[in-house]
Amino acid sequence: MTVVDAGQIGKAAVIGAGTMGAGIANVCASAGIDVVIFDVERIRVQAALDRIGTFLAKSVERGKLSDEAVAEIKAHLHVAEDLADLAGVEVVFEAVSEDFEVKCRVIAEFGEAAPEDAIIASNTSANPITELATAVPAPERFAGMHFFNPAQLMPLVEVVGALQTADHTLEVLEQLAVRLGKEPVRAKDRPGFLLNRLLMPYLNQAIQEYDDGLADAADLDLALELGLGYPVGPLRLLDMIGLDVHMHATSAAWEQARDPHLVAPPLLRRMVAAGRLGDKSGAGFRR
Amino acid sequence: MTQIADVAEGTAIGRVGVVGAGTMGIGIAIVCARVGHPVVICDLRSETVEAGAEKVERFLDNSVTKGKLEPSARDRALRDLTASSDLADLEGCDVVIEAVFEEIRVKRDLLGQLDEILSPEALVHSNTSTLSVTDIAAGSRLPERVVGTHYCNPAPLMQLVELVRGQRTDPTALTRSREFLIGLEKRPVTCADLPGFIVNRFLVPFENDCIRALETGLGTVESIDRAVTAGLGYPMGTFRLLDIVGLDIHKAVSLSLYDQLKDPRFAPPPLVERMISAGQLGRKVGSGFYEYEDAGLLGA
Repeated sequence: MTVVDAGQIGKAAVIGAGTMGAGIANVCASAGIDVVIFDVERIRVQAALDRIGTFLAKSVERGKLSDEAVAEIKAHLHVAEDLADLAGVEVVFEAVSEDFEVKCRVIAEFGEAAPEDAIIASNTSANPITELATAVPAPERFAGMHFFNPAQLMPLVEVVGALQTADHTLEVLEQLAVRLGKEPVRAKDRPGFLLNRLLMPYLNQAIQEYDDGLADAADLDLALELGLGYPVGPLRLLDMIGLDVHMHATSAAWEQARDPHLVAPPLLRRMVAAGRLGDKSGAGFRR
Repeated sequence: MTQIADVAEGTAIGRVGVVGAGTMGIGIAIVCARVGHPVVICDLRSETVEAGAEKVERFLDNSVTKGKLEPSARDRALRDLTASSDLADLEGCDVVIEAVFEEIRVKRDLLGQLDEILSPEALVHSNTSTLSVTDIAAGSRLPERVVGTHYCNPAPLMQLVELVRGQRTDPTALTRSREFLIGLEKRPVTCADLPGFIVNRFLVPFENDCIRALETGLGTVESIDRAVTAGLGYPMGTFRLLDIVGLDIHKAVSLSLYDQLKDPRFAPPPLVERMISAGQLGRKVGSGFYEYEDAGLLGA
């Protein structure tokens, strides 16, 4: 049976128990969807469940969730044993590492093993959806569904069609995003999709202007926070995103678009080389 | 001369002059007057300066009504407020902030005249958003004392002031200016004298990128605004903001920056030109990227 609307979705699979996978699993479970989480390393799934537990505990502390609600959400989360756990799944979220070969292998395997009407959605930010679609048995039921980090908190979701994607697939994913409490936008299968295409040149400019001495890092951020009401300035944002993550994304987009504004600035490369990756490494532009 | 108690000795700034009684000049005069500086507002057009002084008075009255200002502070501010159409009345000011027309000749000439009136220790602040502070300062025999100060509009409400170091600005003048601005309850950021300073240098190309994304079908007005607000947490979508700024103003600022920088991100995309030709200037005319039914109420 074809999934006709997102309201019918009762079971989802998440492949890849990293930050994004955990966030997506959390968001689905919070919307009452059963989630089976897959990872080649079982220990990572447990770690993901722990992280979700921590997030939910904080929500209780802030008075946003009751203990009962948390218990209900947790009851929707399951550690996958093997591919047989894909039975009854209506949507599969792929959230493995941003490596084209790895993603192709995973979506081919899970596309084959999932129920034949299931939609396969990749959470890639840096790979062309159309090229990934060639790896799945039914590309018309494959699309990009790009959550932003942290997925629990960020309202935006980009729904990206491959050339092969059926309109119906995009409609269901868009409805699903709304059901998950998100604000979806359709984006084209172009480097960086929509938001990152706009964000990356701005971040690269910030790195270059800082390196050129326009202002010190704190003042540069403060100007944009106070002057434009941005929640965080660009250099602080880069520290949060991770400098390696940004370098990978902007370099991948440059490979395809050859737009000089997407070139990773020299200082970014140097900082990544020096291991200054932002918040996660304890050193970046603002720390 | 009145001294502001909490300013370090030797750098104290008491009397402030503001030249130019337009929106920015009046806003800046309010900011200075309400923290206790005696203020001289100067504009060569006597009607403008009289009207400006009345605007300051109305603003301060409103602040008192809203409980944001003590009546005694308003009374003192108004007692110490001078409106003049003669630059000679700026004599004795410790800092003069010029907010005259954004025209390099006008600003340079004014700085030359101020040299004749002010003591050599006085600071000169030039409020500009598009001109080079170094270029403006060249109008003074004492370019060391000239500092760029870009207040955001509306000046009484916005905390940010970009403090711009001209090529010949003296470091002490910069430090004194920073202290003065903190005394005005502003949050200064120091930046180099480069086109667009910080805010416009980042905002304008981002806006043009959004317009280009719309032109090339990457998104719609709604999807791009949603991406920016839901994805980045910006308080307003780019197209909403552009409608408020006005497409004509955006084009002028873009072109000015593009002329100086020659980076294509600063060039106004063709859609801007089309919209201006079609009269879709934004909110002030009721039509821009969005349509507005209340244009008549807002006025131009």
